[in-house]
Amino acid sequence: MTAIADTPADGSALRATCGGLEFRNPVLTASGTFGYGQEFEALLSLRGLGGLVTKGISPKPRFGNPPPRICETAAGMLNSIGLENVGVEAFARDKLPFLRSCGTRVLVNFFGTTFDEYVDCGARLAELDGVDGLEMNVSCPNIQAGGIEFGRDPTVLRDLVRACRAVISKPLWVKLTPNTSDIVALARACADSGADAVSIINTITGMAIDVRTRRPKIATVFGGLSGPAIKPVALRMVYQVHRAKIPIAICGIGGIQDGTDAIEFLLAGASCVQVGTQNFVDPASVERIIREIEDYCRVQGVTDVRELVGALATGQ
Amino acid sequence: MRYFDARVIENRSLGGGYFVLRLGGCEPLVGSRPGQFVMLRGDWGRDPLLPRPLSLLAVTQEGRADLLAKVVGKGTALMERSPSGSRISVLGPLGNSFPVPSADVTDLLVAGGVGLPPLFMQAEASARVGLASSCEMLYGGRTSRDLVLLGEMRSLGIALRLATEDGSLGRRGRVTDELEARLEHWLGVAASRRLRIMACGPRAMLWAVGRIAQSCNIECYLSLEEQMACGIGVCLGCAVAAQEKPYLYVCKDGPVFPAAEVMAHAPGASTGASAGGAR
Repeated sequence: MTAIADTPADGSALRATCGGLEFRNPVLTASGTFGYGQEFEALLSLRGLGGLVTKGISPKPRFGNPPPRICETAAGMLNSIGLENVGVEAFARDKLPFLRSCGTRVLVNFFGTTFDEYVDCGARLAELDGVDGLEMNVSCPNIQAGGIEFGRDPTVLRDLVRACRAVISKPLWVKLTPNTSDIVALARACADSGADAVSIINTITGMAIDVRTRRPKIATVFGGLSGPAIKPVALRMVYQVHRAKIPIAICGIGGIQDGTDAIEFLLAGASCVQVGTQNFVDPASVERIIREIEDYCRVQGVTDVRELVGALATGQ
Repeated sequence: MRYFDARVIENRSLGGGYFVLRLGGCEPLVGSRPGQFVMLRGDWGRDPLLPRPLSLLAVTQEGRADLLAKVVGKGTALMERSPSGSRISVLGPLGNSFPVPSADVTDLLVAGGVGLPPLFMQAEASARVGLASSCEMLYGGRTSRDLVLLGEMRSLGIALRLATEDGSLGRRGRVTDELEARLEHWLGVAASRRLRIMACGPRAMLWAVGRIAQSCNIECYLSLEEQMACGIGVCLGCAVAAQEKPYLYVCKDGPVFPAAEVMAHAPGASTGASAGGAR
């Protein structure tokens, strides 16, 4: 254990780089699980985070889906919130001033229901001071194409990302849906159209039934599954994209509960990670996860967490 | 609102699946108001995953918190089996509260089953300021086994009126039948007396209480329960259809709502599990 002395004590070993941004450490909070940051101010030090990703923002406010919107499942939860948010102008006016002062990197998740909405919303957000980068949510129904999600078809995705890239000079990440037979094709479409990173994965479509009432447990029947139940799927998809050597950075998301989970994602090829549902389970867990990564680095003699990215040993 | 670790110091079974969990180390909850709730989670591993929302039953000045729950699912089953000394993480106090007791108002507290805790705490708050006589507890359940903590309530000195659906204790029928009877009494003997209704219980009961209050034009507050993941307005899971805007949130706008705010879509609304308790 002589390695202990080799790890910088100032925390600089945890510095991470992903998709055109540098982070204090590789742990961000995922969209939809951390509000607009302020909600967690009393519970942990936002300054200690690698970064935070806001609730998804659309051009106009959205009121979301009818209840019930969530239910718990084995080691996970289903949600169908309906992309409820305050809209881009209220975000800029009411939410951004706090985020600007909170001392951490801020990525703003955004979406639209048409190409034009994506482009307009992305362009508006990109010009705002305090927005370090953007993350596109492409798991939104395309109302001009019969409600099929933008992010399921690599061709549509390529065109959409290209259109946004043209008006967004800040780092642009794309959060990919796992509800696909070919995650690599989706990641490639993002790389081809100039995105800086892909966030892998969004929630997996699922459902749950109340046998007593014989009704679906959430009003929209289907919802997005998150939590530790989805971690093996997320990890597999991160690794598939990494292994395909597509020239794009990966941010790993899916069921991360502790430092070990986070390091698994780094080893599979993610340059940083996002913690989502775990913020509900234990609202202070991000601080612990960061500490656990630090402990791992100390014990393993890792002086730069970036060494771990894609360092999975395979074969004999 | 704080996030901290507490310890189980006593876990008392009341029969019928009901139990009172007494937690020590809850100094951050001192000063909590009737209606407020906490998110609780033990060292349960990954299943169940989410913390459970539970209304506070009592909090002492010394930082001891009591919670009443009924076993209805995995989370409450694990809580019921939590031995003394076990660690429970607590986020709270959360949400808003019932109106404070007042000498010129008679409060009719309507509790259904495991919806008792916030009303028990409200009754205690009335008794503490010498207003036990201007507060009545109407408490209903399916059977006598669903009516708990009766001795504790009697010792507060408040009027206690019971109803069970099977008639095994108190009036045979629903607690809303008892409410109608008491309103008839109050509106008869003291028509000028200001009345207020506060209720917590199954959703169908709350809508019935709300309709009765509306028909008599009486101020009414309902404490709602909904599935929630975070308790702090982040997951947006606990939406309830509202009057002024499309949705309100049980965790941050409630759990206590003026009935008119949430009654807009009440008829035909879901008859969810009992309020105040966890799943």
